[in-house]
Amino acid sequence: MTTIQKQPSIIRRSSIRTRLRKHAWLYLLGLPGMLILLFFNYLPMGSLIMAFQDYDPWKGLLNSPFVGFKHFERLFNDKKFYLMLWNTLKISFLSLLTFPAPIILALLLNEVRSAAYKKTIQTAVYLPHFLSWTIVVSLTFFLLSSEQGLVNKIIVATGGKARRFLFDKSIIYLIIVIQSVWKGVGWGSIVYLAAIAGIDQQLYEAARLDGASKLQCILHITLPCILPTVAVMLILKMGSIISVDFEQVLLMTNALVKEKLEVFEVFIYQNGVKSGSTQFSYTTAIGMFKSVVSTILVIVTNKIVTSNGMRGII
Amino acid sequence: MTQKTIVKHRSSHLGMHASERIYQVIIGLLLALIASTMILPFLYVIIISFTDATAYVSGVFYLWPKKWSTEAYTLILRGQGFLNALKASCFITFVGTPINVCANAGLAYMLSKDDLVGGKLINRLVMFTMLFGAGMIPNFINIRNLGLINNWFANILPGACGAWTVMVMKSFFSELPKDLEEAAEVDGCGTLRMFFQIVLPLSLAMLATFTLFALVSYWNCYFSAIMYLTDTTKMPLQVYLQKIVLTTDISEVVDIQDDLRNKVPQEVMRMASLVVVVFPILCIYPFMQKYFAKGVMVGAVKG
Repeated sequence: MTTIQKQPSIIRRSSIRTRLRKHAWLYLLGLPGMLILLFFNYLPMGSLIMAFQDYDPWKGLLNSPFVGFKHFERLFNDKKFYLMLWNTLKISFLSLLTFPAPIILALLLNEVRSAAYKKTIQTAVYLPHFLSWTIVVSLTFFLLSSEQGLVNKIIVATGGKARRFLFDKSIIYLIIVIQSVWKGVGWGSIVYLAAIAGIDQQLYEAARLDGASKLQCILHITLPCILPTVAVMLILKMGSIISVDFEQVLLMTNALVKEKLEVFEVFIYQNGVKSGSTQFSYTTAIGMFKSVVSTILVIVTNKIVTSNGMRGII
Repeated sequence: MTQKTIVKHRSSHLGMHASERIYQVIIGLLLALIASTMILPFLYVIIISFTDATAYVSGVFYLWPKKWSTEAYTLILRGQGFLNALKASCFITFVGTPINVCANAGLAYMLSKDDLVGGKLINRLVMFTMLFGAGMIPNFINIRNLGLINNWFANILPGACGAWTVMVMKSFFSELPKDLEEAAEVDGCGTLRMFFQIVLPLSLAMLATFTLFALVSYWNCYFSAIMYLTDTTKMPLQVYLQKIVLTTDISEVVDIQDDLRNKVPQEVMRMASLVVVVFPILCIYPFMQKYFAKGVMVGAVKG
């Protein structure tokens, strides 16, 4: 968040010591939060040294031998690394294609005259945001699984042949993208609804007087007015292009579609956490590569947003 | 509101009333179609979950069962697997939420004072956690070193203080009217009393929103459970559901003395367990709606 610099106050600030004494209880209020961040966000960063070591849990972090960039070299020579990067980018790019969905939903909602109807629709479309991926994936299973899925039951009932949708490599990305849109479209529309609510109503009135149609109003007033918001959201989305919704991908993975859903976090989880400490150093290096790249992406995209006079997130 | 009525009035003058009506119906139908994709899957699952075993035929499509039954629910709710998972989910949710809200609100209130010594540095350090994370393996090793493996606090504490929440709360606190606090300060009101008796009561809507957020995110906790918990009896409901839906033999997960297979079809059991797990979310959801309306959410989303 960009903080606006305060004008230097006319009254002189009191000395550090009096301020410390005055605020002693304030520090106590902030202490739990600071301790949590220290123990669970900053303390783990120490373990990043592992990425440059051949970590041996018996020797510990301090005595494990340093190996420099060995694990990163292995990473960049690993065919699997490029597969994971490629899969991540493919999933991100496909979900980028669905970027207009919440905008369209917001435009539709904005056209509704009846407040009660609008609220009912909003209640329904915001709901999936609050469901866990476990629920969403279970629902997908109930709809698409080969024997029990609703879709296949309908296909069979109408004389067709059941298909194994969840094991089909060619449509697994489609399923993943539909799940993400289903879960996020309502929630994503809130920010655009807020932007639309901020548009000066006189613009519409003037246009109406000039005989503009509904569609013309949307194209020439609503869309240009929310364009800054759209730009910010799009740029921020670019910042997360190297990340996928990991819980979703992990839950959707099965033996037949595995190679399509092999992404960094799934690999780290399966090879680092699940198969013991032998791969700790290598998987930490993969994680570090991802963290660094996404940090750079967030900083760069945020710079782009703020340099265009808009409010960023940092 | 008045502007809307003016527009309405004018359009009816120009004889656009009929076309406006058609337009509203089309928009309404489109939205109803979108909304029904969010609701219908649940309806389907709920209906099937109440189907009686005798009326159920596997692999055959139907929307309305011939005979209803709550057998699946009685079996699930009596099973040891569910009771264990419920205990875990309740602990994580109801112990975690107060910790989460207190830690975030306290830190946010502290940072909302501009003349705090070191405030800027702490602010930067909080923001940095939003930018950079150590990653899965370092976090895992950290939890292990802290001795929290198989402890529900491993699911509570790492997410208990988040930079984004702190920043939104902070901007909320710094926008509160200053006069009240100043008056209280003149009357000799201490920092703690000020926070608990003046600032918090003024922020109830905001606190309620973040309480609900915390409740939902702890209830939905899945990944940190499979990461940090190894004891199967300690797994929360999301893991229970995932196991029931994705394993071929569910009787082990449900964990009940009776023989399940002859009683209720697996599919009905699976759907009933989904309903049970999602039920609390559906219960608190109307309350969340109330706070969207207050506009707190919009501010929060805008950051």
